[in-house]
Amino acid sequence: MTAVFFERSREDRVLAGVCGGLAARLGVDATLVRLVFALLALAGGAGILLYLALWVYGDGLRTWPAAALVAAAAAVLLSALGLSPSTVIGATLLVAGLAVVLVRGGSLRPGGSLPILGIVLLLAGAVLFLGRNVTSGPFIVPGAIVGALVLIVGPWIWQLTSERTERIRAEERAEVAARIHDSVLQTLALIQRHAGDERRVAALARRQERELRRWLYGSGVAEAASLVDALADVAAEIEELHGIRIELANAGDAPLDDDLRQLVLAAREAMTNAAKFSGVEEIFVYAESGHEEIVVFVRDSGVGFERAAVAADRRGIVESIEGRMQRAGGTATVVGAPGQGTEVELRLPRSSA
Amino acid sequence: MKRRVVLVDDHELFRAGVRGELGEAVEIVGEAGSVAAAIPLIRELDPEVVLLDVHLPDGGGEGVIAGVAPERPGVRFLALSVSDAAEDVISVIRAGARGYVTKTISGEELAAAIERVAQGDAVFSPRLAGFVLDAFAEGERVGDAELDVLTSREREVLQLIARGYRYKEIAARLHLSVKTVEAHVSSVLRKLQLSSRHELTRWAHERRLV
Repeated sequence: MTAVFFERSREDRVLAGVCGGLAARLGVDATLVRLVFALLALAGGAGILLYLALWVYGDGLRTWPAAALVAAAAAVLLSALGLSPSTVIGATLLVAGLAVVLVRGGSLRPGGSLPILGIVLLLAGAVLFLGRNVTSGPFIVPGAIVGALVLIVGPWIWQLTSERTERIRAEERAEVAARIHDSVLQTLALIQRHAGDERRVAALARRQERELRRWLYGSGVAEAASLVDALADVAAEIEELHGIRIELANAGDAPLDDDLRQLVLAAREAMTNAAKFSGVEEIFVYAESGHEEIVVFVRDSGVGFERAAVAADRRGIVESIEGRMQRAGGTATVVGAPGQGTEVELRLPRSSA
Repeated sequence: MKRRVVLVDDHELFRAGVRGELGEAVEIVGEAGSVAAAIPLIRELDPEVVLLDVHLPDGGGEGVIAGVAPERPGVRFLALSVSDAAEDVISVIRAGARGYVTKTISGEELAAAIERVAQGDAVFSPRLAGFVLDAFAEGERVGDAELDVLTSREREVLQLIARGYRYKEIAARLHLSVKTVEAHVSSVLRKLQLSSRHELTRWAHERRLV
C-alpha cells in the first residue's frame, strides 16, 4: 500500500489505538492527543466522530466514509461554536463541492468534462452560506452564484495562466533548439565530414565557440555592435576560409561607427594577407582603444614582407588597406623584413569625445 | 628533469587532451575535477606546477589556490581557461596564479609556459596582456602610487605581448636581454596582485555569473 499516512497503534491503545497511532505519527505525546480528542468530544461529539473517521481510515484506508465522518465532525464542531445550522451545512457543502472538483477534476473549457456534482454542491453551499450570513436583500442570490462561480472559475484561470507560462517556456526551448541546430549541430556535422582535415576542424570549432559564447554571454545579437565583436567576427571568418588560427586580444573596446567599420575592413584585408602569404598558422590581432585613438595590430611571424618581391596584386591590397584608412581619417603602416614576419598597424584618431 | 604537474579541470576529455599534447614534456602526477578533490590532492602530491581551470563546478580556481597556498607556498599555479571574461582572469591572477593561458594554446607552448612558471616567472598570454593594459590605463589611481601604475617599459613589453611577440622577439626589439623582459613581466604580475586600483578590485568582485 502506498503512502500509509496513519496506522492504529497496537501497543499504545486505550480504545482502538487511534490516538496512540496518531501520536506516534506526529511525534507527540499520546496523552496530549487524547486530551485534544476529549475536548473535541465535549463540543457536540465532534471528537467522537473524528475518532471514528480516523478508525475507519486507518483500517484499510477507506477514504470516502472517513471523509464523510470528518465532514460530519466539522459540522458538529462548527455548530457547537454557535454557528447556525444553515451556515454549517452551507460551509460543509462548499468544502464537499471543492473536494469533489479537486478529486474528480474536470473543467469549464469546451471539450472538458464538467464537474457537475461539484458545481451543484458548491452552488447549493454558496446559496445557503451567503443567504444566511449576508443580509442585504436582492443581492444575496446573485452574489451567491457569483461567489460559487469564482470558486469554480478561479482554479480554472489559475490552470490557464500556468499553461501560458508553460507555453512560453516551451517556445524558449524551441528557440534554443533551433539556435543549437543552426549552429552547433551544423558545425558538428561539418566536423564529422572533415574529420581528416585537422586545421579545418580546429577552425570550425573555434568559430562555433566564438558564436556560442557571444550568444550566451555577449550582446546576444548576431550583428556585432562593438569593435572587438566585429574583429572577432572577421577573425572567425578568415580562420574558416584559410584554416589558420587567429589570437585576438584587446584593451578596451569602442562602439562601432562608420569609420571603425572601415578600420575593421582594413584589418580584414591585413588578416587575409597574413593568412595567404605568411606561411605560418597563427596570426595575432590586438586592438587598443584609448582616449585619443584606436590602434589595431595584425601580426604574423611568417616569411616577412619584402617590398622588392611583392607581387602586383599584393601591393594593390596594401594600397587598399592604406587608402581605406586614409579615407576614414587614419593611417596604416606595414612593417616587415624577410624572415621576421609582418605587422600591419592601423591607427584611427577618435573624432568625437 | 621533468616538472611534476597536477592538472585541475572538470572536463575529463580536456584533461585527456592536455595529457596527450604535453606528452613526455612534463610528468603529470595527478588530476582532479573539483575544488574539493584538488586541495587534498595537491597538498599530498606537492607538485611544482598546477594547471588550473578558472571555472570549476564547486567554485573558481581561486578556491583551490586559497586552500593550498598557505600550506604549500612552493606550488605554482598557471591558469588555463576558455573564459573571455576579464574579471574571471584577473580574479584568479589576483588570487595568486603566476600566469594565464587560453585553452587553445599548443602543447609545445604550454610546456614552455609550465617551465617558465616552475622557474618562478610569469606567463602572460596576449589576451591577459590586453586586460592588464586596460586595467592600468591612464586614469584615477589610489593607494600606493608605485603599485598602481606601470612604467613605460612595462607598458611597452605588455603591448608587444598583446601583439603576439614572444619574449625573445621582444628582447631583440627593445634591445634587452630575455631575463630583463621576464623581470618586467614579473614586476607587472606583482603589481597586478598587490595593487588596489579601482579597476582591479572591481574586476575581482564583479564576477560574471555563468
